[in-house]
Amino acid sequence: MKGLILKDLYNISHNAKSMFFILLFFAVVFLPSSGTQGYMFTCTLLCTMMIVTTFTFDEFSNWTPYALIMPVSRENLVAGKYIVLVIFSAAGTLFGLLAGLIGTRIASNFVSVSGPADILPLGLTAIASLAVSTICGGMSIPLTFRFGPEKGRLLVLVSFFIPSIICYIVYRLLLILGIVLTDELIVLFLYCSPLLALVWNFAMYRISCTILSKKEF
Amino acid sequence: MTTSTSTSNNILEIKNLTKQYPGFLLDSISLSIPKGSIIGLIGENGAGKSTTIKTALDLVHKDSGTITFWGQEISSSKQIKEDIGVVFDGINFYETLTPAKTGKVLAASYSQWDSRQYSDYLQRFQLPADKEIKTFSKGMKTKLCIAAALSHAPKLLILDEATSGLDPVMRDDILDVFLDFVQDEEHSILMSSHISTDLEKIADYIAFIHKGKLLFCKTKDELRYCYGILRCRTDVFQRIDKSDILAYRKEDYQWDILVADKEKAKRKYKPCVVDDATIDDILLLYVKGEQIK
Repeated sequence: MKGLILKDLYNISHNAKSMFFILLFFAVVFLPSSGTQGYMFTCTLLCTMMIVTTFTFDEFSNWTPYALIMPVSRENLVAGKYIVLVIFSAAGTLFGLLAGLIGTRIASNFVSVSGPADILPLGLTAIASLAVSTICGGMSIPLTFRFGPEKGRLLVLVSFFIPSIICYIVYRLLLILGIVLTDELIVLFLYCSPLLALVWNFAMYRISCTILSKKEF
Repeated sequence: MTTSTSTSNNILEIKNLTKQYPGFLLDSISLSIPKGSIIGLIGENGAGKSTTIKTALDLVHKDSGTITFWGQEISSSKQIKEDIGVVFDGINFYETLTPAKTGKVLAASYSQWDSRQYSDYLQRFQLPADKEIKTFSKGMKTKLCIAAALSHAPKLLILDEATSGLDPVMRDDILDVFLDFVQDEEHSILMSSHISTDLEKIADYIAFIHKGKLLFCKTKDELRYCYGILRCRTDVFQRIDKSDILAYRKEDYQWDILVADKEKAKRKYKPCVVDDATIDDILLLYVKGEQIK
């Protein structure tokens, strides 16, 4: 499985430069208005989306059948993608944190930088960003295994949209039940988000394994 | 090598393999590959060669039948995959990778990976280790795949149209590499190819798949020394014993008839010419000709 991860990292390294400039551009655009927290969240989401790009590389090079003749199982292949997803998300969070802190410091000399810094500490934002991104990215993996990277590019939007819809529905339900979302409740929810991400991604992993086990190459 | 006699001497045994697609049936293929041999798999495009190989490798799910490598199913142990080297038609690495990076990916994947041997093959095949694959010619990409397949100490090499992108000189070199590989009596090669001259040079056995069925699996020498093409006029063709005819085809001024025993045919049908049959001749007569029902 180490080989599968290494392959994705080598492949994506080719795109790293352009991603770096995109993230820098976003820093200029978003940092003054969203602060480090908002920027970190954006970076994590953008880097997470690169998981679909790895599928495009795989399809272009007809990699999957080759991977399956190596000493790896179909489950390993799926697990490798989830590990790469976490690596991408973590890299995005780390970059967002560092670039955000530096950028905010620089920007504060020229403009007033706002953001939810007083409500959410940086550590919590990092954890929540990782959790939310891997939930969204984790859903794009079975969709891409099932429909391929071309359609997957569109479906990645769906995979980022569906968790938002679910959150909105839960929010409305809570309102109906008369439960008011206080800041404390939101913070508690964000602290619990890694657990939710684990459960969600395990379910997505199992679905991906089922999809891949039926595929022929 | 024959069709499906089960002995421990076989590296790969395929028994009654069946796979159906809409409009295509791979029909009860039985084939075995003994140690130390090279099997050439021939057949027209769409005959079922690649499906047979992919099913054996568990890339395609079989409908029925059994496939065992060293007596075990491929999914039962990772060691089996360590012992199989595969080369498909075309490169399977993304083209911004270099052979050096590819080597690192494979080293992390195969416990038997031999980095020194891989470097030796890169040198032998004149492949620059640090150049991106996208700058390589098709032949260079094929050579890279062959280097990768040979560098994890496989005991069975499966080649699916692997030599098709190589020029004659390089093909000859690669065929020598394959011949070296089977010098070890524990090693074997299953090679699907349209280039019959390659198979005539190195194969010990020829398996012919036509329209999803295994028509025969015979030693190359049997095909070379026994099979012949009897050429005759229509009046002679009418008198020929139908049991002597494997396949026949009407040409402009004569009938070409594939026979399994050319010496017997020479004696029996004396005025007729009986030529040696090449693998291409046999394939053409089976595919484009007709068989006695």
